[in-house]
Amino acid sequence: MGDRRRSRRLAATLTVAGLVFGTAACGSGSDSADSGGPNTLEVWTRSNPDAAATYDRVFAAFTKKTGIKIDYQPVVNFDQQLQSRASTKDLPDVMINDTALMGSYQSQGLLKPITPDTIAGHDQITDKTWSSTVGIDGKHYGIPYSRQAMTLMIRKDWLKKLGLDAPTTWQEMLRVAKAFATEDPDGDGKADTYGMVVPGSAQNGYAAWWGASYLWQGGARIIEPDGNGRYRPAMDSAAAVRTVTWLKDNLFCGAKNVVQPGALTAITANATNFQDGNAGMYLTGPYNITTFDATPGKDTYEVVAAPAGPAGSDVLADGENVYFGAKTGKAKQEQALAAFLISPEGQRIAMTSVDGHQPVVRIPVNSALDAAKVRDDSRWSVVQKAYEDTSQQFPNAPDFAPIKQDTADSLNAIFTYCGSDVASGLKELNDTLAGDLKDQDLLK
Amino acid sequence: MTATLTTPRRRGVLAKRSVLPWLFLAPGLLLALVFKFLPMGKGIWLSFFDVRPFLGDKWVGLDNYTRVLTDHRFQDAIGHTLLLGLGQSLGAILVGFLLALLLEGQARSLKIMRTAVFLPVVTATAVVGEMWRLLYYPTSDGLINHGLSFLGLGPAQFLDNPDTALWATMVMAVWMLAPYNMVIILAGLAGVDRTLYEAAAMDGVSLWQRLRYVTLPAIRPALGIVLTLAAIRGLRVFTEVYVLTGGGPAGSTEVWMTRAYTLGFTRNDIGGASAASVVLLCVTLLLTVTVNYFRKRGDVR
Amino acid sequence: MSAPAIDPVRTSVPGSPAGKPSLKQRATPARFDTALGWSDRPGVGWALRILLCAIALGIFAAPFLTIVSGAFTTHASGSSLSFLPHDSTLQNFKVAGERGIWDYFTNSLVIAGGALLLQLAVSVLAAYALARHRFRGQALVLTLFMLTMMLPEEVIAIPLSLVLGHVPVVGLDLKGTAWGVILPLGAWGFSVMLLTEFMKDIPTEIEEAARLDGVGEFRMLWQVVLPLCKPALGVAGVLGFVMIWDQYLLPLIASKDPTDYTVTVALSILRTDPEVGSGVVLAGAVIALIPSLIVYLLLQRSLVTGIAAGATKG
Repeated sequence: MGDRRRSRRLAATLTVAGLVFGTAACGSGSDSADSGGPNTLEVWTRSNPDAAATYDRVFAAFTKKTGIKIDYQPVVNFDQQLQSRASTKDLPDVMINDTALMGSYQSQGLLKPITPDTIAGHDQITDKTWSSTVGIDGKHYGIPYSRQAMTLMIRKDWLKKLGLDAPTTWQEMLRVAKAFATEDPDGDGKADTYGMVVPGSAQNGYAAWWGASYLWQGGARIIEPDGNGRYRPAMDSAAAVRTVTWLKDNLFCGAKNVVQPGALTAITANATNFQDGNAGMYLTGPYNITTFDATPGKDTYEVVAAPAGPAGSDVLADGENVYFGAKTGKAKQEQALAAFLISPEGQRIAMTSVDGHQPVVRIPVNSALDAAKVRDDSRWSVVQKAYEDTSQQFPNAPDFAPIKQDTADSLNAIFTYCGSDVASGLKELNDTLAGDLKDQDLLK
Repeated sequence: MTATLTTPRRRGVLAKRSVLPWLFLAPGLLLALVFKFLPMGKGIWLSFFDVRPFLGDKWVGLDNYTRVLTDHRFQDAIGHTLLLGLGQSLGAILVGFLLALLLEGQARSLKIMRTAVFLPVVTATAVVGEMWRLLYYPTSDGLINHGLSFLGLGPAQFLDNPDTALWATMVMAVWMLAPYNMVIILAGLAGVDRTLYEAAAMDGVSLWQRLRYVTLPAIRPALGIVLTLAAIRGLRVFTEVYVLTGGGPAGSTEVWMTRAYTLGFTRNDIGGASAASVVLLCVTLLLTVTVNYFRKRGDVR
Repeated sequence: MSAPAIDPVRTSVPGSPAGKPSLKQRATPARFDTALGWSDRPGVGWALRILLCAIALGIFAAPFLTIVSGAFTTHASGSSLSFLPHDSTLQNFKVAGERGIWDYFTNSLVIAGGALLLQLAVSVLAAYALARHRFRGQALVLTLFMLTMMLPEEVIAIPLSLVLGHVPVVGLDLKGTAWGVILPLGAWGFSVMLLTEFMKDIPTEIEEAARLDGVGEFRMLWQVVLPLCKPALGVAGVLGFVMIWDQYLLPLIASKDPTDYTVTVALSILRTDPEVGSGVVLAGAVIALIPSLIVYLLLQRSLVTGIAAGATKG
């Protein structure tokens, strides 16, 4: 018995060992073996496999056209992986990633400066869009690729059931949120619905990402340029105090269920109440449209411009840029790729969905294209209009990561403690922001 | 031990036996040197720099340390770290011990029970966090709140209330760690000589005395390990907080390592993060040495 | 609970004095098998034990029904979570499969198998030296091994990434290979410490007898000492596997590109993917926990066979 058991165990051990060594041997060396070739570019995007399928089509078209090969890697945890590669000074040639990270990458020296004139078709990108890739030293560090602005996703079936209209002001938005929370819009007889979804955690700066649109609408800014390449913190302004007080009193410390439960520790990944069909409004980016068309369903919700605050209806704009890694030798191939990516052809491929895969360009940066027309979906004109007419990015030049994080920490704390004094909380934040700017030698 | 050997080969044996331990230790020490201590040394080195891989690191001396130690959010985190580290470690040891006592034995049903209870340990931490967020769901739909409503208690905001978030995190941590400790203690219990229990029974001692004077001394190595482990990872508490609350709300669950992580990975301040970790490493080392000192003293007694 | 009454049947077992392992066939009644003296026949203690077991099961295992039920439910979400799936489906597993979960699973298996073997071998050798030999620098070595556990991985990640890209002296690039994950996991202080503590506890008489018989060091370790610390080996195996399986940062920095990821890394990616619902994440979680459970089931036998049972084999 014991012997039989022992021999069985031995066999299992040998199997595992064989598996290990066999596969380890096969695994080594086979990876990205051709990325070192002179006519091959290593390209990273922050994409899940679904979006990666769309990028595959884009790069296939590029290779067919130019003969330049692409070693494409969709990397979801982009920044950890990038830090790891940066430590060995082996960066990818081209990266496509968030606009808000430009200042951070540039301050670490990860990016090559870019002269717009060297990119064919650069004049098809508007000056306003180009200006969003200017770094702290006045040089460009990215090529605009895709843009988006926040819009309000709202359940139209709920509105209809309760006899309401889509809100156009903060007051109306609050009224609709309260109605969604209390008047049983899903008609199941239970009080299990919420007004709006808020990813309000301080983790990764979500509270600031979500709150930015409201700050803009209330006439507040997080930091303000002084016109001479320096900045000053602006979160102690009367507008900021007024805005944050309104948010705190009405959304977090007011009537119950205006925002979804757990909002203060929610990040976008676990703020799924809109998808789950128990929250009626979500101010968020248009990348969610594909997801929401599946659940709660295309005909249950609509996309409208964000409700206006006292100072207008500006929303946060962001998107992706094309960055060139600080690595030398393949400038021509990189420029050719960038030119293709911003060309009407390249943008069009990236904007369309094949086999249900997610498009990777939201609002095209190429002014010859129109998002709604390319997609034949009028909802995208709402997003494009919001981006073109009423949107603001986070300031792109400074390393915004610490500023965003500190703002999120502070907003999250103010929203958590209902009894706290907003003005003194923001004064404290302002001092912290001044410190952040000073660390970067950018404080006015 | 060697004194009992009086064979003529004694001298040769001795020489062989002084090299031999190092032969046995060589693979472990080599791997640790290359993959642990080398990176650690480099990490300590980095804590004196403003780290910028592509622009060249800039020597800043002790700046990173003063910045970390004077940062009020790091200072706030100390209290949370101590409370959470101590609470979850002791809680997990106690619960693990009770589980081990309950589930010791050879019966097939006990094996199944042990496997079921072990589930929290084998689940990916990210998933555990997700699951507890659902258990703590702050409306009456949430499972725990659903249970509370039967007792006539209203839905509790476990994670969104800064007064309860840390305790809620601690409960999850105990839940995750207790079965881990259970397994170690079970191995200790397996080593207890059965004849001692019989002898105790014949002497007519009470159950409590039997536990106190037979079981506890016999599982001292197991308890020592569990304690050392608690000292080592108590202050390093990170994942539990990261997956459940991310340090919020309002920083009420922020611990030393979540702060260091934010510094390193969200703010790209590798130097500052290294300094914070070196501080933690020193405190942990001190704590572990202390725990071991008292363990040794206990052993001698 | 009262002290256990003396069992009228088979009260005494002839043989070994207290403190020495019994080499005889065990013939003790069940209530001497456990520290609390649980009885295996119906009675008050028996009922109490069942009740306590039910409570423990409710606390530690019942939450998993939510994972499993969520994995088989089309739209799993916070408020609709329950112990039973509402509309059974394999859709979530299909989506997880499309996201390459099985490829990651294979990567994980290779890494976990190799790393566990290496880790156990390294730990057994080191522990044998630390527990059964006396030599200069012993305390220092033990401290060094414990130090390996104290390093916050989050911090050595970046420097470790450098080492993996170019291993000193030999100059190998381990990134993108399974070795890049396996080798750093080889030296685990916990496993060394655990085995050392348990080996120290083995009576020296058996070993000395064997040594007088001229048994060599390796045979001594393999045939005398190892069988005696089976419970500890079981623990080291189970917890080592869990620790390796749960690695997140190491596979991430040791990878060249996403095809090298492990199932744990893939899970955390799925978790932040807005397009897959939580059902898919839970399906991935179910897939990921199966190997650890199997390892636990295989090794748990050694957890409860005590020294007395082991000694008969030595």
